[in-house]
Amino acid sequence: MARIVGVYASSHAPLIVRNWSGVTPANKVALTSALTEIGRRYKSARPDVLIVISPDHWVNFFIDNLPGICVGMGEEHEGPAEPWMKEFPHRKIAGHPKLANHIVQTALERDFEPAISYHLTLDHGFCIPIWKAGIDPLPPIVPIIFNDLEPPFPTVRRCLAWGSMLREAIESYPEDIRVAILATGGLSHSIGEPTMGEIDEPFDHECIRYFEKGDERALVEFLNERLPTIGNGAAEIRNWVAAHGAAGKRGFELIGYCNVPEVYVGCGFAAWNLAAS
Amino acid sequence: MRDYWLSKLFFDLQSSPSAAAEYRTDRRKVLDRYPLKPEVRAAVERDDVVFCSQRVNPYLLRFYFFVAGMSEADFLRKVKVAGADAAARSSHG
Repeated sequence: MARIVGVYASSHAPLIVRNWSGVTPANKVALTSALTEIGRRYKSARPDVLIVISPDHWVNFFIDNLPGICVGMGEEHEGPAEPWMKEFPHRKIAGHPKLANHIVQTALERDFEPAISYHLTLDHGFCIPIWKAGIDPLPPIVPIIFNDLEPPFPTVRRCLAWGSMLREAIESYPEDIRVAILATGGLSHSIGEPTMGEIDEPFDHECIRYFEKGDERALVEFLNERLPTIGNGAAEIRNWVAAHGAAGKRGFELIGYCNVPEVYVGCGFAAWNLAAS
Repeated sequence: MRDYWLSKLFFDLQSSPSAAAEYRTDRRKVLDRYPLKPEVRAAVERDDVVFCSQRVNPYLLRFYFFVAGMSEADFLRKVKVAGADAAARSSHG
């Protein structure tokens, strides 16, 4: 049977790439250090497959056809399309269709109805964290896209349940493989809104405390109350919630947090405490 | 609510560097391909961030004005006006 060997979260602010020269030296050190630590832990876990949960930033989907959740079933995915991601070293990224199919089958049996795609482009949300964490060579990746950009969004409660289902799917996969999960996005930020550029650091710290404690009910209540009141980018914390469910809701260890106005994002990095399989 | 064709214009321009280049060269020619309502087209032609912000996803709004060549400082200033505008409208019922 497959098993989960690591569950991580990382912010994916585009300006980490597009405006790296504009980031202060102290924040460069903080971001590099956190991403390097994610990469170190990932390598030490020796996964065979990586599941990445990230939003789609209007690359694969549009408002004519916008899934709440989509699982990438392809043998191969495209590398990022953004012109400023041209230095990303992979144009083609291997998938893991068998695991992806098993996740979708398990989802359907558990009353989830995810969309599927056999040809996804993995945008900066997927690629910045794995690139800057130094994950190379890349393992086969199963991308899972959560709609965090265009309301109405999947509920926080449903994202948590999705994560629990994902854990069940991995642990019932018949091959003996090691699986890691990386949730990307968040923490607080605001893009294209009147509050653009504002980072709610008190919210970020409070959010981190809820994830650290692991109490799922308190976490869901907190996010239900607060997410509608802060910048739109924080909707991506739904991906962290799914990772929380997949990790067994035991709370996480914060690897790093830095408020980086130069990239408009309160950047967070974490690794979950794994429940015993 | 979203304006579908305005959103589609913004989506297409941020998805295709060649379309974006064409747009910067001949905006009217590109706009002619989209069945935009007259008031929507006029708002695009005058770079009206406030008007557009009420009709498209904020990420697409930001992508579009970046692609269209508006400076980040100018966009930030104008999008904050959109917030003030919305607040004023809401305070008048």
